[in-house]
Amino acid sequence: MQLIVNILVLAAIYALISCGYVLVYRVSRVLNLAHGELMMLGGYMLIVTAATISSNPIAAIAGALVLSLMVGGLVYVFLMRKMTGEMVLAAVLATVALGILLRGLVILFWSAQIQYPAQTLALSNPTLNLPGGASISFYSAMLIVATVVVYSTLFAFLRFGSWGIRMRAAGQSPLLAAQRGINLHGVYALAWGLSTLTGSLAGILIALDSGLSQTIVMIGLKAFPAALVGGLDSLVGALAGSLIVAAAEVLMIHYVDPLLADVVPFLVLIGMLVVRPWGLFGTREALDRV
Amino acid sequence: MNSDTMLTVDKLEVVYKRAITAVQGISLSVARGQIVAVIGTNGAGKSTTLRAISGFIGIDDARVTDGSVTFKGQRIDNRPPHTIARLGIALVPEREKVFPNLSIAENLAAPVAARASRSERRRREELVYHFFPRLAELRARIGGLLSGGERQMLAIGSALVCHPELLLIDELSLGLAPVVVEGLMERLVQIRRELDITILLVEQSASVALAISDYGYVLENGRVVLDGDAARLKDHPEIKEFYLGQARAGDRRSYAEIKQYRRSRRWYG
Repeated sequence: MQLIVNILVLAAIYALISCGYVLVYRVSRVLNLAHGELMMLGGYMLIVTAATISSNPIAAIAGALVLSLMVGGLVYVFLMRKMTGEMVLAAVLATVALGILLRGLVILFWSAQIQYPAQTLALSNPTLNLPGGASISFYSAMLIVATVVVYSTLFAFLRFGSWGIRMRAAGQSPLLAAQRGINLHGVYALAWGLSTLTGSLAGILIALDSGLSQTIVMIGLKAFPAALVGGLDSLVGALAGSLIVAAAEVLMIHYVDPLLADVVPFLVLIGMLVVRPWGLFGTREALDRV
Repeated sequence: MNSDTMLTVDKLEVVYKRAITAVQGISLSVARGQIVAVIGTNGAGKSTTLRAISGFIGIDDARVTDGSVTFKGQRIDNRPPHTIARLGIALVPEREKVFPNLSIAENLAAPVAARASRSERRRREELVYHFFPRLAELRARIGGLLSGGERQMLAIGSALVCHPELLLIDELSLGLAPVVVEGLMERLVQIRRELDITILLVEQSASVALAISDYGYVLENGRVVLDGDAARLKDHPEIKEFYLGQARAGDRRSYAEIKQYRRSRRWYG
């Protein structure tokens, strides 16, 4: 039972992060390799808002989320916008550079020490006992709740929202979208903003659950195989991929060796790439652009 | 024609990839309420002219390097496509004309209709189903699964949702059966009449285009070589021979004469 809970929590973390990869890739065909760092930045945003805006946890978290939405939009406007029309590879490399820059800045401002924003906000993290003898920490449970909320909102937005439909349209044919009056820069900025927002939400909850330091970038990196296994341009895929990767990882830790934890997602990824390179739910066409 | 001119293209020059000149010095004008045809063979610069009017995006790597495009008295050359679309010019492109993974209903929901109110927009969507009842039957089908004719209907429909004053259509007849083309052309005439929309058609098939147009331009090698009322162009001996293939047997000129003709025709422009 505890095993299932562990799988679900880890899957929720990966899913919450990987939908950011999917959003940006689907709309602009760019792999955002700085997503892990942007997620981490979300955690540090919480430290900032807790210190400046309010020590009320809800206000601080909301402030951090708004900030990260803006950070995502600004990343597009000031960095990725210049890359439109260039090779996709150039854009991907720009995100790598951004990631390194962000890591450096975080060390510069907050040092490499582990921080506990939950303490700053005077929040406790009670353990909830579940039927069947399993237990889950409060913020892990919140991670699952957040994943459910974020995914249902995204599904509804992309399916029924007029700007959601426009985001999908821009991802399929940017030229036609522009000719139909859709401002591509606006749509791309929105995708970057939403992607950073959801990533930050994951970063914030992880930081509240188990503390915040540079190492959580690794979690962002492991969510990348989850998105790829699912097929990179599909939200359903990201959900399924996260579940598969999380299950493989947790089972491996439990039955084989905890030291393998960081390797497993990439093993799953390699296995998937051999059998079905376009992922579980991805479109085949996307393959040659990766 | 001056007071009523909706679109003026003046000495347009377009360069691709900073090196290839696709159009050199094309001038044409479109009066309000007219259907104007631009005909010519492959590589004549027809599509480039339309794309220049509707705007290039970054990946096109193309620019208007000389001349101007004026729409209702406002310069629009080298503006981004979404701005031009919002001013009231909608293009039905030759390729990539529908969003392949969106349903018909979503294809019609995606365009931004900057010039229309919310209710006007909803009326427009219904109007598209009125013009093309076939689309109403297939509402939930995705664009990629439509036949060529249905795809063309959807492309025209999604352009109409943008509430355009000027509709640009690139190669309406391309790859479609003559009977389908005929139906679409009739629909265009109806759309012009009911919605008071001006239409600029680009066609390889001169007979199809001239049948419904008021005025025509003939393009060759990036220049206008001939223009005039559509009725007169249809009867023009050279158009008959080279675009309509209607020269009487035995009357056909030899290749050497054709080359001579091509050279002499430069002077028309």
